[in-house]
Amino acid sequence: MSSKQDPQLYAQVVRVTNVYLGPAADRFVARQVQNHLDKPPEQLTKQDLLKLIDWIKVAVSLLTEDSEIVEEYATQLQHLATDKKKLRKTTHK
Amino acid sequence: MKGSNLTSDQYHILLFLVTLPYMLVWLGAFYGYGKLQQYTNLLKKTPEGIDFQCIAKGVRYLAYGLPLVALASISLSTIANSNPGFKPTAIIVVNYLSLLVPLLAYNMIRKGSHGLVERSKTRFSLSDMRALVMVLVVIGVAYCYFTFKKLNLESIGSSINPYYLPAWIIITTLIIPYLYAWFSGLLAAYEMVLFSRQVQGVLYRQAMRYLASGIVFIVAGGVGLQYLRSVIPRTGYIQLNSTIILANIAYAILAIGFVLLIIGAIRLKKIEEV
Repeated sequence: MSSKQDPQLYAQVVRVTNVYLGPAADRFVARQVQNHLDKPPEQLTKQDLLKLIDWIKVAVSLLTEDSEIVEEYATQLQHLATDKKKLRKTTHK
Repeated sequence: MKGSNLTSDQYHILLFLVTLPYMLVWLGAFYGYGKLQQYTNLLKKTPEGIDFQCIAKGVRYLAYGLPLVALASISLSTIANSNPGFKPTAIIVVNYLSLLVPLLAYNMIRKGSHGLVERSKTRFSLSDMRALVMVLVVIGVAYCYFTFKKLNLESIGSSINPYYLPAWIIITTLIIPYLYAWFSGLLAAYEMVLFSRQVQGVLYRQAMRYLASGIVFIVAGGVGLQYLRSVIPRTGYIQLNSTIILANIAYAILAIGFVLLIIGAIRLKKIEEV
């Protein structure tokens, strides 16, 4: 994984998050990056992604008891970390 | 107390028991407003923040308005009981205060709900709009029928009726504004449901559904209560009859609404905090 900044990565994480948190997605991801990775959201790198996914899993587990949603969301984010171009179609629109 | 064998103390105990469920609803309304305002404060710099601010403001008008109207009604009725000449003034003032609260509250909630719908580019369903208009027509026609039955329509200037106002003033300054307020309330409830159905985000949508259902129940209970209070004119004293049962049903619907609103606001707030 590269530690190079990827300006598109943050937008991709927000896009995935949008499926679960709608209008709150951007604020949610920015908060997780700032609070847990101690960096501005736009400086998110692929190297940070796995750590970010762990924190996001913790945060989303506080919002829902539906572990299926949490796992599905985490899997979608992991696809970004492993450079999979196509995201799996989500069951939750 | 008139016409009954109750002492002053017994009457006040009865008054307390009758108003106790109402007071619990007022507490729920204040708590709901508090939670919604806390959530709204977290959205200050966001595009939808202004819309939620309007909704919170509308709920605040209801939270303050419900006890304000009840306290004004009790206070003015107490004065009217010792000064019978004051009774018409008391009833007119309370009738207009009762109108002012939903007029301001529903309009503010509708302003917010409309902003949310516009922002999310949600489309209105024609069949839903037809149903909404139908509900309003039924409510409006029934409301006019029940109110006109109490008026002397042979003389439109006569104020010999339970509202102590000429019929033309009642129609222009009470009936029409009430119908407008109810339409605003129903439209706001519909727009909230529409937004909660179509907004993106499975977790956000779940929380919004609680908030939207809360608004639906609050508007339904509020409209029911205002309907009852204006169709069955105020007398200035407690009557233990079917009216009080219907009023309690309306308050129960309001209570359910505030509970749902509280759950929705807490869930939405949590999304912004974790």
